[in-house]
Amino acid sequence: MLLQAFFDVFQFNVIGILILGVISGIAIGSLPGLTATMGVALLLPLTFGMSAVTGVLLLIGIYFGAIYGGSISAILINTPGTPSAAATTMDGYPLAQQGHAKKALMVSTISSGVGGTISVFFLIFFAPILADWALEFSAAESFALAIFGLSIITSIAGESMVKGLITGVAGLLIATMGLDPVSGFPRFTFGEVNLMNGLNFIPVMIGLFAASEAFKSMESINFQDKVKVTLNKAGLKWPEFKRIIPTILRSTGLGTFIGMIPAAGGDVASFVSYNEAKRFSKKPEEFGKGALEGISAPEAANNATTGGAMIPLLTLGIPGDAVTAVLLGAFLVQGLQPGPLLFQNHGEVVYALFIGMILANLLIIICGLSGIRLFVKVLDVPKKYLTPTILVLCVIGSYALNNNFFDVWVMMISGIVGYFMQRYGFPASPVILALILGPMAESNLRRALVMSEGSYSIFFTRPIACTLIILAILTLFTPLFRYLWNNHKKRKANSEAI
Amino acid sequence: MERGSWRKWVASAAVVGMLALTACGGGGNTSSSGGDDKASAASSETKTDFPKKSVNLIVPYAAGGGTDATARALAKEAEKHLGQSIAVVNKTGGGGAVGFTEGATAKPDGYTVTMVTVELTTLHHLNLTPVTYKEFKPIAQINFDPATITVRADSPWKTAQEFIDYAKAHPGEVKVGNSGPGSIWHLSAAALEKDAGLKFNHVPFDGAAPAVTALLGGHIDAVPVSPAEVKAQVDAGKLRTLAIVDDKPSDALPGVKTLEEETGIKTTYLGPWRGVVVPKDTPDDVVQVLTDAFMKAADEPAFKEYMNNNGLGIVIKDGAGFEKLMEEADQSFGELIPALGLVK
Repeated sequence: MLLQAFFDVFQFNVIGILILGVISGIAIGSLPGLTATMGVALLLPLTFGMSAVTGVLLLIGIYFGAIYGGSISAILINTPGTPSAAATTMDGYPLAQQGHAKKALMVSTISSGVGGTISVFFLIFFAPILADWALEFSAAESFALAIFGLSIITSIAGESMVKGLITGVAGLLIATMGLDPVSGFPRFTFGEVNLMNGLNFIPVMIGLFAASEAFKSMESINFQDKVKVTLNKAGLKWPEFKRIIPTILRSTGLGTFIGMIPAAGGDVASFVSYNEAKRFSKKPEEFGKGALEGISAPEAANNATTGGAMIPLLTLGIPGDAVTAVLLGAFLVQGLQPGPLLFQNHGEVVYALFIGMILANLLIIICGLSGIRLFVKVLDVPKKYLTPTILVLCVIGSYALNNNFFDVWVMMISGIVGYFMQRYGFPASPVILALILGPMAESNLRRALVMSEGSYSIFFTRPIACTLIILAILTLFTPLFRYLWNNHKKRKANSEAI
Repeated sequence: MERGSWRKWVASAAVVGMLALTACGGGGNTSSSGGDDKASAASSETKTDFPKKSVNLIVPYAAGGGTDATARALAKEAEKHLGQSIAVVNKTGGGGAVGFTEGATAKPDGYTVTMVTVELTTLHHLNLTPVTYKEFKPIAQINFDPATITVRADSPWKTAQEFIDYAKAHPGEVKVGNSGPGSIWHLSAAALEKDAGLKFNHVPFDGAAPAVTALLGGHIDAVPVSPAEVKAQVDAGKLRTLAIVDDKPSDALPGVKTLEEETGIKTTYLGPWRGVVVPKDTPDDVVQVLTDAFMKAADEPAFKEYMNNNGLGIVIKDGAGFEKLMEEADQSFGELIPALGLVK
């Protein structure tokens, strides 16, 4: 069966389609607004006429490629191509600014490919066990995970904790817009149908990161670019790579885990891994200024979510997020029903997909590394051409999301707000984190309370939920403890000196 | 120096111009979709020359979803009978309201067709949009999916009767998942509650799939979702469907009886349906051409195969039949939704 699967995959047209999928995925992912979900959905009809393995592998190539591709624009122009790459901007862009774009891209490419590959091995060897475990995740656990995620604001706040918390809370307030998740009451929608499901966070993200950056560069568009960033040709060195291996492995585990639980994907995983990388780092102060771990953590994690997300899809037939929901459709069109019976009835297809997924991740490394020389050319484009191009892409990307012009306005306004936030030192990442996790925290809190008939004990009697809440509290107060500890040491040192 | 600054000036002007264009685009968009062009539509169409160009099919939900996939599969077949290409346009937002509004206010010339769903008859009762089914002229209904009563395979309830009896004896204790407050599965469960004299603890999820996941994990007790949405789990022996809430069994789950056969309880058969409509002022001869094309498309083997592969129920009705369904659905929801306390 395994041999048959090898023959199914190692055919000229299958490999060709997979390469096509990965490359177009990378392109789609690197453009803001064009997300992995959209890429997969748009090419879904193309697969109708293909064989099951070829069709699904094309979509998987796009999915994996797009999750990686988001990091390219995040690093080069501070514009996360997909929500999963939002965390990558925090260290990727500073590195590119220092001339280390090549090194940053190498780290992101290798981390993505390795993270993705390992997660596929998790899928192959532990899928049934992990899937049963993922089912343990209910509303209480998801709420606790969201709260844990929100506590990360303290570590991504940047220079000023107060400003970070202000933008985080502002993001949480914006996240309350839209229909109440339990009663269905429209909140802060002002009778506007477009606000019924709340503010779509992708146009907000495009505005806060990409458009605001473009507005900022307009300030200097009329000056000669004397101080151009000179590209450092040096790539990633072996000792540097050795240093980030633990980060990659840790983030891969976290990514696979977060990917397989329902309703949390690459965006959550990348922020959580970033935070853990910082927690375990010997030099946490380097984060936000261009730490290699700050790129490898979110990138290994978001690509690891791909293997993770395939676990409930293949073993249970349950899509955990929007991309896998579309993939489920692709399976059904082929007459394949994902679920426990897929392994029994169509084992050869499953094995072929596993092999294809590993190949897709290797192709990410190959295409990514050989593309770096091409990607960094973006930095040579003069601002006067790059800025308008980025703005055009912002508009197209926001419109393409839902074919709805309302999203373009949201992007524009966020861009203007983001410009002033940047000017006065308010970080944008906490807003995005709050917009992703706010609705997740709220709806799961309410859902858990509906299930427990109003008893809050549901959050403390369930072990996973309780652990995550304790971790959240620890994360939230770590900076405070550290501050107090340092003060204490200083005072002690002072008193000893006296 | 001078040449350089001139070039930069042009570049900045281009940016400003682009922003201005963006702004105009937004204005133009709203005004054209709000435009009402009855006169030209009524006079310019004659019986024979429709369609002269490609037709747009508005889908109010995102690309890749069930409604989108169904629309694309149907459009592919309908193109053959229409003699023109059909472009699927996803207009998402407001749980479908954005696409419905766009479809209702489009030029009534038959070139903008909208795929509507059961939400057309629920959203306005929830006061979430002013658009109702009355603003459309139906072309054809193509799908209806019944509700089910599905529980875990290891649950104590082996029959629908046992489930109903338990729920009756323990009001408010049975946790029934649904796909969101005011969603079709919430309303289906509520209709059963009303007609069987039960009281459930409704747990809203963000769609049907998370509700099924929660049922698999044992966090809730039952789901009312369609056969297609539980088929994989039922076939794998993880879930058990106790009854189909419809007047006939479902092809997707052979062997499962209807609720009435099992328990004798009569309830309103509420479930998601899909169909194709045009704005209400579209001339009848154009409607006829579209009806012919879509009815024939729905009958094509390739479309039926798609529906069967996805476990979707094929229920094909012409304009009059579809109109009646929408009218009845609208009336049921008009009674049910205020009774649930969901109206703001």
